[in-house]
Amino acid sequence: MNAPHDKPIILVADDDEDFLTQLRMQLEAAGYLPQTAQTLDDARRIFDSQTIDLAIIDLMMEQQDGGFTLCYFLRKHDPHVPIILVSAVASETGLRFDAATDEERSWVKADVFLAKPIRFEQLHAEIQRLTGPYSRRVTWS
Amino acid sequence: MISIEVNNRQIEAHEGEMLLPALRRAGVDVPTLCHMEHLTPTGACRLCVVEVEGGRGGLVPSCAFPVQAGMKVRTHSARAIRARKTIVELLLSNHPDDCLYCARNNDCQLQELAAQLGVRQRRYRGAKTAHKLDVSSPAIVRDPAKCILCGRCVRVCEEIQGVGAIDFIGRGSSTMVGTAFDQGLNVSSCVTCGQCIMVCPTGALREHSSTKEVMAALHDPDRHVVIQHAPSISVSLGEEFNIAPGVDVDGAMVTALRRLGFDRVFDTSFAADLTIMEEASELAHRLAHGGKLPMFTSCSPGWIKFIETFYPQFIENLSTCKSPQQMLGAVIKSVYAEQQGIDPAKIFSVSVMPCVAKKFEASRPEFSRNGVPDVDAVLSTRELARIIRMRGLDLARLEPDTADTPFGQRTAAGKLFGATGGVMEAAVRTAHYLLTGRELTDMQVQPVRGLAGVKEASVNINGRTINVAVASGLGNARVLLDQIAQGRKDLHFIEFMTCPGGCIAGGGQPRTANRDAIKARMHALYKIDQDAPLRASHRNESVQRLYSEYLGQPLGHRSHELLHTHYHLREVLR
Repeated sequence: MNAPHDKPIILVADDDEDFLTQLRMQLEAAGYLPQTAQTLDDARRIFDSQTIDLAIIDLMMEQQDGGFTLCYFLRKHDPHVPIILVSAVASETGLRFDAATDEERSWVKADVFLAKPIRFEQLHAEIQRLTGPYSRRVTWS
Repeated sequence: MISIEVNNRQIEAHEGEMLLPALRRAGVDVPTLCHMEHLTPTGACRLCVVEVEGGRGGLVPSCAFPVQAGMKVRTHSARAIRARKTIVELLLSNHPDDCLYCARNNDCQLQELAAQLGVRQRRYRGAKTAHKLDVSSPAIVRDPAKCILCGRCVRVCEEIQGVGAIDFIGRGSSTMVGTAFDQGLNVSSCVTCGQCIMVCPTGALREHSSTKEVMAALHDPDRHVVIQHAPSISVSLGEEFNIAPGVDVDGAMVTALRRLGFDRVFDTSFAADLTIMEEASELAHRLAHGGKLPMFTSCSPGWIKFIETFYPQFIENLSTCKSPQQMLGAVIKSVYAEQQGIDPAKIFSVSVMPCVAKKFEASRPEFSRNGVPDVDAVLSTRELARIIRMRGLDLARLEPDTADTPFGQRTAAGKLFGATGGVMEAAVRTAHYLLTGRELTDMQVQPVRGLAGVKEASVNINGRTINVAVASGLGNARVLLDQIAQGRKDLHFIEFMTCPGGCIAGGGQPRTANRDAIKARMHALYKIDQDAPLRASHRNESVQRLYSEYLGQPLGHRSHELLHTHYHLREVLR
């Protein structure tokens, strides 16, 4: 975590500009410092340039599984960073992914999977859970 | 009464009624996929076609065809059966062929009809529907590709619940059932009651299952897994194991939960008693200090979301008490964790509920402290039955056991929460005691019992008349809310339950139940109450000990911290 007086930095990677803008405004209003990226490369650059407290990553970006690749990259370089994977993959492809068990979380490389459309209160609860003092997140290298 | 000829025998029918109810009364089984009792027929599925001789005659949908004196009907003529079979074949032509993987395999009316009508080859091949799978809601999964457009879910949502979160969208062959702007249920006006699941004939609607998380926690040696079971589960779970409706399987269920590996088994009815202590005190306080009246109960999460979405002007009328599930969840991760010396983050708290809205409730941010949710996973009655079967247990053959102390002790009042009117009855018993220092002479508050949608009663407490009302089913709730909005002022306390009949008919209950089964579940709860030595929540010694050792007084500081909450206006797409 950053120093307590700093706002927690949240990396948000999504190719949907509307989603990105909306989420940035909501996160700012909730007291976070969002860093947004519309491409995988931008997301990697942000991650390389600063310490982030949590990442919210869309699954289907330039590549259908771009989010998985990004999760893998993040975890490889920082096994402790909490990751929330968000996606409309089920409604777009019929495929379902979950991060409901340790086993699933270990291969998805994310702590939580949320299906779009997402209510902000729901996302906020997950952010608080993953960054809270009692976070029981399991990390993998 | 008039007489009609059906399959060469005379049967009686009421003048003006439709053919289908007359046939059913006479014991003639005509299949249907869209008919709903007590609602106007739509004739959408056409499966109830029967052959009428003479007149306009021919094949007619019996659900929407009025009886006529002297009419001759053949319900299972070759032509009627052929027509039904063709309808099923056409419905299957674009249906996903994944029965083995479907949550409703062996519990699907379309599958059952296909078998009954002898559909054994594919005569029609249509393009498979590729509608969006919607898994966004924490409570309900919607798979429109499996929808046969019978319209039952639309009708229950609109006509019974008065919510209208889903409706037919698109035209012609593109017609589907969807939400406003075809966005996910998660951002719609859906209150997550799950009544749509109860009427869906196929796998198009089902609960968002949490069995995977629960099984993983049970197999994790680092986790202390605790379960609480809601008041109505013990009188409905048996039906999943071919036990007659209304048989109380409490003891066998506790044994099954222990065999599954739960470290502690607690009873949500304990927390219902706790709720009553807080809620009755809150009512007494509002009556004495001019608080917002009428006070509304707050145990039913679908009802809470309904108020937040449709009647935010009444949010202050809601009791600030958390639901029993959330009260016990909070107590487990605080008092219990402290007493046992367990890190709250290591406790995995499960609840088994007759409800899918409880899944939504458990995920609400109001019910987390320091980022730790008070309840980690919610199972419906159906999901619990699946887990028990998966473990190879037969409920009918298990020796009974009792729930763990201290949160396993309950009074019959807490158990009554499972049926419409039960919260009110329990609250009246305790409010009377709190305000007079005396027990009610007759514990049974008869006017609030039974399956009527709206019930009202007056109770005399210390010379003051307290007017109470009970509504179950959100359509019935609307009736009372609209009366109050228009100026009705005589009511002091109202119990609202989301599902018609209360939790015994909740959206997470066994799907096979008809109205008789629901009545049997209700009478089982009344029987438990009648036979119980403790029939009032304030007589629960474990609850009293919790107050003396930890909470202090009802409505006190610690109670407010753990057992109370507040709600907000909810913006949704509609």
